[in-house]
Amino acid sequence: MSAFYQGSLVPLAVLVWPLLVGLVPVVPRWRARAVRVLPLAPLPALGFAMAGAPGELFLPDLMLGVHLAAVPGATLFLAMTALVWTVAGWHAALTLRAGPQAGIFAGFWCLTLAGNLGVFLAGDVVTFYLAFAAVSLAAWFLVVHDRTAKALAAGRLYITLAVLGEAALLVGLMIGAAAADDLRISSVREALSDAPMGQLGLAALVVGFGIKAGMVPLHLWLPVAHPAAPVPGSAVLSGAIVKAGLIGMVLFLPQLSGWQDVLIVLGLVGGFGAALWGLTQRNPKAVLAYSPVSQMGLLLVLVGTGSGGVAYYALHHGLAKGALFLGVGVLIAAATRQQRRAVLVVAGIVALSVAGLPPAGGALAKLAAKDGLPAVLVLALTLSGVTTTLVLGWFLVRLAQLEARPEPRHLWRGLFAGCMVLAALALVLPWVLWEQASALPLHYPLRSVNLLAGFWPVLLGIGCVALVCWRNPPALQPGDMLALLPERGMVVGPKQGAEGRLRRGATARYRRMALRALLRSRRADIPLQPWPRAGLVLFAGALALAALIGRPG
Amino acid sequence: MTALVIVLALPLAGALAVIALPVRAAVPVALSATALTALSALVLAASVWQGGPVTLMVGGWQPPLGIALQADGLAAALIVMSALVVGAVAMAAWFEMAAARAGPRAAFGFWPLMLLLWGALNAVYVSRDLFNLYVGLELLSLAAVALVAISGTAQALVAALRYMIFALAGSLLYLAGVVLVYAGHGTLDIGLLSARSPAPGDALALGLMTAGLLAKTALFPFHVWLPPAHASAPAPASALLSALVPKASFLILIRLWFEAMPELASTAALLMLAGLGAIAVIWGGVLALVQSRLKLIVAYSTVAQLGYMFLVFPLAGGDGSAQPWAAGAWTGAMFQALSHGLAKAAMFLVAGICIAAVGSDRLGDLRGLARALPMTGFAFALAAITLMGLPPSGGFTAKYLLMTSAFAAGQWPWALVLAGGGLLAAAYLYRPLAALFTRDARLPVHPVARAWQGVPLALAALAVLLGLLSAAPFDLLQIGRPEPAVEGL
Amino acid sequence: MNAALPVLILLSSLVPAGVTFFLAQDSHTLRNTLNLGGAVVKLGLIIWMLFAVAGGASYEASLPLAPGLVMLLRVDALALLFISLSATLWFLTTIYAIAYFGTKAELSRFFGFFSLCVAATTGLALSGSLISFFIFFELLTLSTWPLVAHKQDKPSLSAARVYLAYALPGSAALLWAIIWLESATGPVLFTEPPDLSALDPGALRGIFALFIIGVGVKAALVPLHGWLPADMAAPAPVSALLHAVAVVKAGAFGVVRVIYDVFGASNVAALGVGEPLAILASVTIVWGSVRALQQDEIKKRLAFSTVSQVSYIVLGAALASPLAMIGGLVHLIHQGLMKITMFFCAGIYDERAGVRKITELNGMGARMPWTSVCFSLGAMGMIGLPPLAGFVSKFYLGLGGLEAGAPWVLGVLVASTLLNAAYFLPLLYRLWFLPAAEDARGDERAPALVVPAVVTATAALGVGLLAASPISPLGWATLIVAREYGP
Repeated sequence: MSAFYQGSLVPLAVLVWPLLVGLVPVVPRWRARAVRVLPLAPLPALGFAMAGAPGELFLPDLMLGVHLAAVPGATLFLAMTALVWTVAGWHAALTLRAGPQAGIFAGFWCLTLAGNLGVFLAGDVVTFYLAFAAVSLAAWFLVVHDRTAKALAAGRLYITLAVLGEAALLVGLMIGAAAADDLRISSVREALSDAPMGQLGLAALVVGFGIKAGMVPLHLWLPVAHPAAPVPGSAVLSGAIVKAGLIGMVLFLPQLSGWQDVLIVLGLVGGFGAALWGLTQRNPKAVLAYSPVSQMGLLLVLVGTGSGGVAYYALHHGLAKGALFLGVGVLIAAATRQQRRAVLVVAGIVALSVAGLPPAGGALAKLAAKDGLPAVLVLALTLSGVTTTLVLGWFLVRLAQLEARPEPRHLWRGLFAGCMVLAALALVLPWVLWEQASALPLHYPLRSVNLLAGFWPVLLGIGCVALVCWRNPPALQPGDMLALLPERGMVVGPKQGAEGRLRRGATARYRRMALRALLRSRRADIPLQPWPRAGLVLFAGALALAALIGRPG
Repeated sequence: MTALVIVLALPLAGALAVIALPVRAAVPVALSATALTALSALVLAASVWQGGPVTLMVGGWQPPLGIALQADGLAAALIVMSALVVGAVAMAAWFEMAAARAGPRAAFGFWPLMLLLWGALNAVYVSRDLFNLYVGLELLSLAAVALVAISGTAQALVAALRYMIFALAGSLLYLAGVVLVYAGHGTLDIGLLSARSPAPGDALALGLMTAGLLAKTALFPFHVWLPPAHASAPAPASALLSALVPKASFLILIRLWFEAMPELASTAALLMLAGLGAIAVIWGGVLALVQSRLKLIVAYSTVAQLGYMFLVFPLAGGDGSAQPWAAGAWTGAMFQALSHGLAKAAMFLVAGICIAAVGSDRLGDLRGLARALPMTGFAFALAAITLMGLPPSGGFTAKYLLMTSAFAAGQWPWALVLAGGGLLAAAYLYRPLAALFTRDARLPVHPVARAWQGVPLALAALAVLLGLLSAAPFDLLQIGRPEPAVEGL
Repeated sequence: MNAALPVLILLSSLVPAGVTFFLAQDSHTLRNTLNLGGAVVKLGLIIWMLFAVAGGASYEASLPLAPGLVMLLRVDALALLFISLSATLWFLTTIYAIAYFGTKAELSRFFGFFSLCVAATTGLALSGSLISFFIFFELLTLSTWPLVAHKQDKPSLSAARVYLAYALPGSAALLWAIIWLESATGPVLFTEPPDLSALDPGALRGIFALFIIGVGVKAALVPLHGWLPADMAAPAPVSALLHAVAVVKAGAFGVVRVIYDVFGASNVAALGVGEPLAILASVTIVWGSVRALQQDEIKKRLAFSTVSQVSYIVLGAALASPLAMIGGLVHLIHQGLMKITMFFCAGIYDERAGVRKITELNGMGARMPWTSVCFSLGAMGMIGLPPLAGFVSKFYLGLGGLEAGAPWVLGVLVASTLLNAAYFLPLLYRLWFLPAAEDARGDERAPALVVPAVVTATAALGVGLLAASPISPLGWATLIVAREYGP
């Protein structure tokens, strides 16, 4: 028997720690206040990311042999994920009402977190699938936490798509693993493109990851789930959890498999379409929900081109999106006009950063992404600044009109601080990591051509926002294409109805007929019983036997 | 040798003693005669097992002058089976045929008739002479008819009368055949007949004898006397009648077709016998399915079960006798005779207990009886397993051997009969079983002694054990068989 | 010693069975001691043998019946896989049953047949020849009947009747197949594959079909599955044992034996009968799930789920590629653990809260947390969520399907996953999310009921979590395939 593990246990500890924290609400006495420990859950992961995600681990006995190691770009992803989860956990700890429901929320929060971290650390497909399932399915509890009809309906849509995604993913992974005859992600990725049925496998993977990553047209759950979820839930969903789908695409799609083009096209459709569709929404969280669809679209374009800037872009996007979603919560909690203004200012700055206004972090992310792209896509990326500005501007407009449910001052301060931290990180962290991530000089973003490319789309976008405010856009339900689906609900249920009764009636009739025939056969012996007849039969039988015996041959 | 004599003589002597001695001595005398005979039956079987067939030349004269009695493996097996059944029946009758329960006439008459029947049976088993067989058969039929009539009800008398007509007609036919044989060959010894030179009347003789024996064995379509007769006799009597009596005439058929005149067995005749057997399996099964009285169900089941045994003719008779599968088929049929005897006796004794407990054997009245009489219910279930031919019972071994031979001989339709018959048996035995095992009892239950309940359970368990330990009986049956068994099928 | 061990294992449940029948109704202590003692002895023997067999030992005992009828008990790796499952679950189910029945009536009869049923399963697993397989197969049929009919009320008896109406024709078909085959090849021992050249392919296909019909009734292959949902009238420990271990597994185990030890995988492939069987299994998987969706009784839903899940094993065996085979074999254990957990829980809901319908499950999670957690674990395992046991089997089956060149298996697995999710997730939703009814009751003050469920649920989690370890069921299944059916 081999040793129970080979390598360093640190990656495992990073994953196990949130699970342990998740066990806190299991103790009845701690259950009601379990949310308070949530900010602690991602801390080992944060430290691990800051240390450069060192170490590999192989556990031969666990599941089908667990490999844990940081995937390419994992440091940035892990850092972003840990930060968003920490701050969102802080927000949750401050805002969620204590009680048994908060206990459930806390438990599954930690499970989701562990899954979310796991996808960046998994070295084999089974572990990856496990992590992915954890982050997808456990997140359902974050969506339905409020238990309102709206939340439950959103939860139903979410879980349906998540389960479908899991199934698709399983198909893809199995095809890959069968072709590779190995479970490690790197081998599976290599084997997939040439595998028999490899194209089907890749399609299944794109669908599975696409659902999670909010790829158009599989993004349906995002605009429905976000407004329904509590604020910290939305923050992690759009900031960190969607990245699980993204990392899946990065990890599994082989270069030049033909699927890159699909990603680019769908990414562009999402990048522009979703942003414009966001204008039809009134609820700021719904408006904001379309923004990740749009941003993830751009990220998918990057994945499709094989750009190295994916993780860097995702870092900024995750932090900024987390900050914006938390901003909604902070604004709701704001008691005074002054507080509201402060929130709006922070949100505005973050929004501008996302739109790519220099010298904020978002501009750097875009610049790094543009490096090495074909001219058309560079233009598209630049133009996306217009639509992003537009949708985020509209978001700010709607946000400003949001009604408040003021919270005590000290609480608000805590919330605001959390939001501020994320916002600051979103603005600054890209600068810190610039040289390391892009291999370009630090003054590159400050060149005038780059500054210009950052400025004009934002200005154009602001103009458009003014236009939109002037000509109020139509208000539509969130969930766009859901309207095309028939009424949802339990399609199948216990079968009943006239047909069943009819059939039962027919069966009973046949049964009666058979029974009557059987009863009639009770008298079958009677014709043979009277002696003269029986005697005749007996003698005939004797002669027949004799004849048969005597028959020659 | 001594054991053989005791087995033949003691039951008859016991019957006479029971009649001669005062009434209160009847039961002890009968029981001790039974015990002693049963013991010597076992001794006889042991000596056959060790030393091969035991032969007794009456008066020391060789055939054709004298009469030969020979206990070969088959006879020994049947003697043991009969001893077990009669022993069990005697024990059950000790309870059931008490004067208080069955009336003084039946209580007295049962014991000598039982012993007489037994003596006749044993005589048939070991006789090697066609006329001797006839005498045994007549004695047997007389005792059997009297046992049917013993309860004295009108229904029983009608049934007994019909039985007697069939039995007499059968005897006459058989006797006519015997006369023809004697006229043709001047001997009736089976051993000598097998070496005879053919005579023109042989076919007719065999046909007449066979038809007569079929009537006594109650093969379809001559079975019509059996269900009413067996159903109206007291349960211990029915057990004897159903389990043992048909086996005697069947044994004579086997002796005729396999030992005395094997060369006369034309394919067509063999097929006819088996065909009637197959029809009997279905006919008896369907009719058993629609009866509403336990004893009638069991009686019709006898009709069906006897049908299986006739499948031996095309599989092991005629040209087939030299084939490797013949041993399997022949032994299978004999296993069927043995296991059916044990199981059927157990079932009738169960019926007797049921009647003692609730005063009726209608299925509706038996509901919930297993709750009060769990051992009885269990005994019925075990016996049913054997009759259905489910492993690991003797019935299964029989069915397995017959089916294997049917396939090996390329005559798979017989296998279909065996399989279908098993399912039919399951269907018709399920009804009484389900009735016994329901929860809601309908009638108040009179207590039944545990020892009495144990009797059918022991018999049914023996029927199952016959399958579980089938190697020894299999070897016993091969002793003295004309065609040596070929291993490996 | 080599001959004694298999016999001892068989006796460890046969003797308690025999003695229990004759115990008085109120001698609870003696009866419980006897049954638990038998189970413990058996477990001990099996654990000992596990190590010995892993080291290459084999045990054999034979009893010749009539010529051609050889009772052969033989311990090989596959047999051990099955008996270790049945022994473990027997032990747990006995504890559960003792608590479930308490001092109700007819317990001696129940436990007698219960042990007999386990003895039959053990014998079935240990059978080294076709005929001994058949004998124990029948013994199983017969000993199960009184268990199904145990309540002796109308639904139970009619369920028991339906059971026999399916099982006995199935046995007839099986016997037919065995005799047809053996009449050409002589007695079939599992150790030496019979020489099939004496039979033409048409006849062989016929024999195979009859075999599948025979064991398929027990494995509840569509359209022979009707008895299984009907049998839900039986008491909970019976359904647990019936559905998770004894009967359906006997059928599935039979399929494995027929394909690998009677015909041999290569012959099955050459005859072209593997694929139809795989398709039949797939139809069963999907159909069972669809029907499960339509049930509103918990046990009925579980029963149809069993119909569906057991066919995973058949599918794995029919695909006949090593990985699929591993997946199928390991599902024998995995499904057993998961399904028995769920049936335990269904019994607890019924017994402690009077809940039988799915709609009545609302809010039970809070009242009966242990039970509900176990139930949820079982359900998630069935759906195939990692790291639960069900995922491992599903994953191997999928890989095996691809390996065998039957990629449509993936479609079946996906359909099954989705349908499983569709019929189990609403249950979990009700358990944990909907408020309980006003008059709902329910508690878990019956540790002997809850602990077995917790143990099996933990095991279902554990065997998935530690699947790759050599002592896991997966490790054992891999050993079986590598050692006995490897290329």
